[in-house]
Amino acid sequence: MNPIKTSIGPDQARELFRAELADVRTDAELQALRTRWVGRKGSWVAAFMDALATATPEQKKTFGRGANELKKEVEAAIAEREGVLAAMRRPAHAVDITLPGRAPRLGHRHPLSLIRDEVGAIFTRLGYQVLEGPEIEDDYHNFEALNMPEEHPARDMQDTLYLAEPLKIGAGQPRTLLRTHTSAMQIRHMEKNDPPVRLVAIGPVYRKDNLDLTHTPMFHQVEGLVVGKGVTLADLKGTLAAMAEALFGAGTGVRFRPSFFPYTEPSAEVDIQCIKCKGAGCAMCKRTGWIEILGSGMVHPAVFEAVGYDPNEITGFAFGMGVERVALLKWGVEDIRLFYENDLRFLEQFGL
Amino acid sequence: MKVLLSWIRELVDVPESAEEIGKLMSVRGLALEGLEPHGDDVVMDFDVTANRPDCLSMIGIAREIATAYDRPLKMPEERDFSPAGQATIPIAIENPELCGRYAGAVADVKIAPSPDWMQARLTACGIHPISTIVDITNYVLLELGQPMHAFDLHTLGGRAIHVRKAKPGESIKTLDGKTRALNADMLVIADAERAQAIGGVMGGCDSEVTDATTQIVFEAAWFSPASVRTTSKKLGLRTEASMRFERGMDITAPARAIARACALLEQIGAGKATDGIVDVYPNPQPARQIVLERTRISGLLGMPVPDAQVERILAALGFTTAPHGQGWTVTVPGWRIDIKRPVDLIEEIGRHHGFEHLPSTFPGVQQAPASSDPRIARDRRVRTALLGMGYSEAITFAFIEAIAAGPFLGSDAPVALANPLSEKFAVMRPSLLPGLIDAVSHNRRHGRRDVQLFEIGTRFSPRGETRGAAVAWTGLATADHWSGARRDVDFFDVKGAIEQLAAVSLVSLTFAEADVPYLVQSRAATIAVNGTAIGVVGLLDARVGDRRDLPAGDEVYVAEINLDALTAQAPADTLRTTPLPRYPSVVRDLSILVDDALSAETVRGTIRSAAPVTLIQVREFDRYQGKGIPDGKVSLSFRLTFQSPERTLTDEEVQAGMQQIIDALTRDLQALQR
Repeated sequence: MNPIKTSIGPDQARELFRAELADVRTDAELQALRTRWVGRKGSWVAAFMDALATATPEQKKTFGRGANELKKEVEAAIAEREGVLAAMRRPAHAVDITLPGRAPRLGHRHPLSLIRDEVGAIFTRLGYQVLEGPEIEDDYHNFEALNMPEEHPARDMQDTLYLAEPLKIGAGQPRTLLRTHTSAMQIRHMEKNDPPVRLVAIGPVYRKDNLDLTHTPMFHQVEGLVVGKGVTLADLKGTLAAMAEALFGAGTGVRFRPSFFPYTEPSAEVDIQCIKCKGAGCAMCKRTGWIEILGSGMVHPAVFEAVGYDPNEITGFAFGMGVERVALLKWGVEDIRLFYENDLRFLEQFGL
Repeated sequence: MKVLLSWIRELVDVPESAEEIGKLMSVRGLALEGLEPHGDDVVMDFDVTANRPDCLSMIGIAREIATAYDRPLKMPEERDFSPAGQATIPIAIENPELCGRYAGAVADVKIAPSPDWMQARLTACGIHPISTIVDITNYVLLELGQPMHAFDLHTLGGRAIHVRKAKPGESIKTLDGKTRALNADMLVIADAERAQAIGGVMGGCDSEVTDATTQIVFEAAWFSPASVRTTSKKLGLRTEASMRFERGMDITAPARAIARACALLEQIGAGKATDGIVDVYPNPQPARQIVLERTRISGLLGMPVPDAQVERILAALGFTTAPHGQGWTVTVPGWRIDIKRPVDLIEEIGRHHGFEHLPSTFPGVQQAPASSDPRIARDRRVRTALLGMGYSEAITFAFIEAIAAGPFLGSDAPVALANPLSEKFAVMRPSLLPGLIDAVSHNRRHGRRDVQLFEIGTRFSPRGETRGAAVAWTGLATADHWSGARRDVDFFDVKGAIEQLAAVSLVSLTFAEADVPYLVQSRAATIAVNGTAIGVVGLLDARVGDRRDLPAGDEVYVAEINLDALTAQAPADTLRTTPLPRYPSVVRDLSILVDDALSAETVRGTIRSAAPVTLIQVREFDRYQGKGIPDGKVSLSFRLTFQSPERTLTDEEVQAGMQQIIDALTRDLQALQR
């Protein structure tokens, strides 16, 4: 007895087929489907054909058309799906493109070197020359010519590292100390060059500071110096505002606070708008909305006199900024010592 | 400087809150460091810059606040000593260059605790109350900034004061109970017999005011900053007084301070001044006058400041102005020892007019910018090349431990620091390698297997500074990848990196085997350009690594070159290209068997000297020892390229050239062609 004849007809069978076809994913499943539906023996279509053999003429008329249409549809659908599966099959030369690539090794830039270059590029764009200078200095270039004579109280502000034995290098005073600021470069440059001057000097400086979250005995500084006729404090503000925007993003405001440095008059400490809260006040800026970033001012006439410039003829501005400080702020680094540990887990967070 | 808000409000009418005052003063030159409630009052802590000793006082801070808020300053009450009374204590200054002025006054006193209000103010400002007289001197110190002292008149030997240098062997027991030996450069305040105080630093025990005191001499003086600094440093004794005298005090202030102290004395009922003020001022200094031209103000600041504002600010700060030519003659008050030039006045005007009014402008350009230090571009080139070769950039401290520097010193003495922060930072690095080795060690100890680092920085020797580049590499040389074979770093990886650096600098290097104290023998070479040694390459000696806590068994390959020496040998920027070859090249491979002690350099040299000029390149492409090769021999394979700029080479020519080479190898090196 054939169950098909009594249970369902070709129309219901077509529904069943469509449902089964929809589940086919592989060649093997398609082959099984083919056998089940249009195989020579035991398939749905074969069963319908067998049933047809014993049917009445009236039944043959209606049932037979349905069975034949089912057979055609099944064969066409299987052929079509076969084509689809063939198109999906991976060719022999295929690679798994989701495997990781064979990356050539590439080093990572040190964050301080990134800032140094970025600042250098900003000022090169503004028409400055970028200079470097000796790290072992003499007393004259580091202090005296910068209006800090031996008895000057400002020397208390900087705890200086001195050499055990002075070094005699070239002409000039014996070198006795590690430069405490890049300002020493101002003097070296102005001694050898007439105004106008427009330079930044970048490099390591040294102070006798114990290591902690915010201090290291060696750190890096950017010194800027512009000298010429009619250079003003407002020019300094415009320049530093441009630098702040280039370093910390458009719209970063700057604020000048009067301060004191022996080598500038007037002197100003410069704050940028807090980069975290944009001036609203947060923990990072101690609720003030401002973060101190550098010291600056108009070059003191005594400095010009020391290098043989006439302070009645020219004026100038100078500023000094800590590279580490910029990096700490820019990237949210919480411990300055990380810059000197050279831990690859830290360095690899920075690009090229 | 800690000031009490109520005290400030006595001197200037500022109902504004401490926070508001702090905020404004922070942009007027007095940064507020801290605010602390003190009962109903507030202690404001202002950061006073080194040039402003006048602001180490209530009156100084109040004057700044009064100027900022444009309100009048109310001076504290002084005792009127006019007409001048009779002086009853003779004062003699023997060294007017060290003590420019000395004022004193005698008073009958009652020693008791000072009134509560005075004690409270002193306590709030961090000074421990003692008794009426001592508290009055401290009160005046805080209020006016003028240090004062009081001697018990009856303990002075002879009713006289001599300001003189200490005598040989003289000593004094100071108020802190210590006996201090004095030297002949130190200034003392003495009676007729012996030193009773160290000028500007501290008083002595013998003449200390005690409960039994009934008559005192108030002292207020002006001492030379340098003298007080030297004495205080030599004695290791810093006091509220010495700290102020060191920075420079107002030479016009001593008599005013005495008058104020006597007013307080009478106000609190602690006694009465008996005679007039004795004021010894051997070389009176005229008040300093500065001519300030109007145009200089806007010329320096880049913002206009109206004349009326200039005059208001200067007057509020205690200057007097008189019109003069295109500006003013400005008379500087005695307490403004920092004001010496027109620019100093312009700063006062600028900061009180407000830096917030500064426009943002740019300096004009008069000429093309000069070129930058050529080292910057060179270092960038080297840095970029090393990053491209997989080395990450390190920056290490320029001072290192003496023991770490040892192997790298060569015949030089170390450049040592006189006052290093610690033994870890005792000498300036002679080489970048100690720092890099420490960085490798740090990474290895933090679980990193492969470490590949470089540093570009300064090295120090007694001859000066040189810029170097150094690399260090340990671990895998190959990429750590699912697909491939792995290999540890070896000598040739690091040598290759250095060769690439030379290539980007357009120089060629020679390598020579060498003994280097910190490198493993026979895996170390010196690097030279045109016969000038510029560096080393090799395997780090395990003992050196061990001392820097490098894990045992780690092989670290290192190299260091002197970039300044490399640059000196690099050709000037005269690169001229050669045209591309017009005729084809011919490539021949050659395999030979030679003694394995022969260096590649020797074999290459023999090939080159025997070859015709048409041999343009020799490249080792295989080196094999093992199965099929006799002991002590090595099989070397070379790829030789022949080319002529003038014509296409014939087979016969190339063959003849090859034969010459083979003959030479056989004859000179006993090579066997394979």
